[in-house]
Amino acid sequence: MFSPDLISEARIGCSVEIASKKRLLETLAELLANDHPRLNTELVFERLLERERLGSTGLGHGVALPHARIKEINEVLGAFVSTSTGVDYDAIDGEPVDLAFALLVPESATEEHLQLLARLAGMFSEPTTRAALREAATAGTVLQLIEASEAR
Amino acid sequence: MDLTNQIILLGSAVLLASVLAGVLSNRIGAPLLLVFLLIGMLLGEEGPGGIAFDDVQTAHLFGSLALAIILFDGGLATPIKHFRVGLRPALVLATLGVAITATLTGLFAAWWLELNWLEGLLLGAIVGSTDAAAVFSLLRSRGLELKQRVGATLEIESGSNDPMAVFLTIALIELIVGGDEQGFGLVMLTEFARQMGLGALIGLAGGFALTALINRLAMSPGLHPLAVMAGGLTLFGLTAVLGGSGFLAIYLAGLVIGNRPLESTQNIKRFHDGVARLAQIGMFLMLGLLVTPSHLLPVAGDALLFAAVLILVARPLAVWLCLLPFRFPWREQTFIGWVGLRGAVPIILALFPLLAGVEHADTYFNIVFFVVLVSLLVQGWTVASAARTLGLEVPPTTHVVQRVELDIPGQQELELVGYRLAADAPVLLERRAPHLPAGVRPVAVVRERQLIEADGLADLKAGDYLYLMAEARALPGLDHLFVATPVPERLTERAFFGDFVLDGEAQLGAVSAVYGMAIDPADRELSLDALIRRSHEHPVVGDRLELGQMALVVREVEGDRVTKVGLKLARTG
Repeated sequence: MFSPDLISEARIGCSVEIASKKRLLETLAELLANDHPRLNTELVFERLLERERLGSTGLGHGVALPHARIKEINEVLGAFVSTSTGVDYDAIDGEPVDLAFALLVPESATEEHLQLLARLAGMFSEPTTRAALREAATAGTVLQLIEASEAR
Repeated sequence: MDLTNQIILLGSAVLLASVLAGVLSNRIGAPLLLVFLLIGMLLGEEGPGGIAFDDVQTAHLFGSLALAIILFDGGLATPIKHFRVGLRPALVLATLGVAITATLTGLFAAWWLELNWLEGLLLGAIVGSTDAAAVFSLLRSRGLELKQRVGATLEIESGSNDPMAVFLTIALIELIVGGDEQGFGLVMLTEFARQMGLGALIGLAGGFALTALINRLAMSPGLHPLAVMAGGLTLFGLTAVLGGSGFLAIYLAGLVIGNRPLESTQNIKRFHDGVARLAQIGMFLMLGLLVTPSHLLPVAGDALLFAAVLILVARPLAVWLCLLPFRFPWREQTFIGWVGLRGAVPIILALFPLLAGVEHADTYFNIVFFVVLVSLLVQGWTVASAARTLGLEVPPTTHVVQRVELDIPGQQELELVGYRLAADAPVLLERRAPHLPAGVRPVAVVRERQLIEADGLADLKAGDYLYLMAEARALPGLDHLFVATPVPERLTERAFFGDFVLDGEAQLGAVSAVYGMAIDPADRELSLDALIRRSHEHPVVGDRLELGQMALVVREVEGDRVTKVGLKLARTG
């Protein structure tokens, strides 16, 4: 199961108008930083971008899962954004991304961090979950969907 | 008149039955060739068919012809890109490997059957070559795709080792008939140089000449395949008459023709695929007819032992020795060692001593026939499970869709592809308009037999027929969108390559900073590409490297450079 603090309505954006991968990462970084006292947007954005330089985190089927390790936090921290139109994300299947979940993990975590990433990727690999997330209009619905799919 | 009609009826009925039996055998996983061989035996003198056929000369003629056509098709269908990983190991296996296998089995035969050492070697040489066509038809019929290094090596080996086995057999027969053991080394050497030299020269030159000829002459498209086949067989005949290896010549000619720009390539390849299948069916039926099953029993014990030595000792040892310099992973070596399937070639080669009047030639023939039966049965039946157990399958790249390749001379390879959208097609499950890969244009959507507006394909429904114009390289991407993946769970891209993708150029140190795996500090600056190439000189899709609890899986290569690497995170419970 996901930790209860992993994601909250405040860190979810629905059908946001975004035109580029850079803007998508910035939006996610803002959501993550605004909700945490020791984080700022530039730092988070920079870390997420560093990971992207090693290879796109686009998983295929329009999903991206940017992630980074960051020493300023003690608990895992997630944010979710769906975009109104797909963003060119250089994903492995070439499909534009319209669902993105960003995950920050503390410097110390290792095994747990990897398992969480794998579970999130598993959740987004379900076509029904993706379709439902695309249709969700409010942050509340998204949150419910994420919680429901973790219960399965 | 009546006889003519009866022969036509019988012949076509047998062919039809064989094709249908082939479909059935795919279902139960029995090797196709074994089925044809058994049908031939049933039709023969001791089966219900009661046809007495023992004309060795005719069998030799049609067998050689069929073999030439099969090799030609093998050459035509082998893409040159397989040479990057498969050529050098396959060549060593096809020459040195055949010699080692033949020597080991031959010396065993000489000792066990108390033969002269030359006669023993002859028996070894006859069973020296492998038949990969059987392996590939078996794997393809189940939609399995092998790692490129293994597949390419086996494919090229089986195409190029027949000439070697033929050469050894002919040379040994000459020595035995001539009764001249002194000249062994010299005869072998000059014969090898002549057969292979002439074969390679005429095959390559002929292939280029034939391509040029067909591209230059205006003829109706229906004649192209015929011209190619007649040309190939002419090269075969010419080389053989001049004393070279016709089989090598026709295989190389096929390779050249299949990989050069050519008018109506698809037409030509499809035609030869069909003719090669016919040749295969016909050859195995005929060989089944030729044998007298009751004569197999007296040699069964010896033949079984001989087969065991061949399959369990000689082939694995030869493969291990030959692949030493290429550093194949042990799983791949084991598989290649196991899949030394013996097909029709040994049986045809066993006809040579009969024709030459070598002593005990009957016994050789029966032993060889039995060995082939055992090999088809044991190895043929276990190929698919061996590939699975050893983890050598990779996710298939293209599925079967309706496609028409457009042969417009001078154009890039465009194809018209059609999909019938099933309810579980990915594009429908995603519920969003598909993003077509580069090089693709939608042509039409047909719903309930009506052409409908295809604006951006935003409104597709299950049951629609979708037609697109696409470049060949875009096809895997299209399949990804429109075909539900029928592969087993362990071969889905996610299960096979892991969730995440890294660039081949990414540095190991930076990767470890994100995922926290332990690495050797000296390797921090190393790119993933360089890291993988340290253990795989010619990396192929599916090569793995364990890294702590994670694994790197090669996902895309360009030449010998790894461009994309899948990252498998630790297994979740």
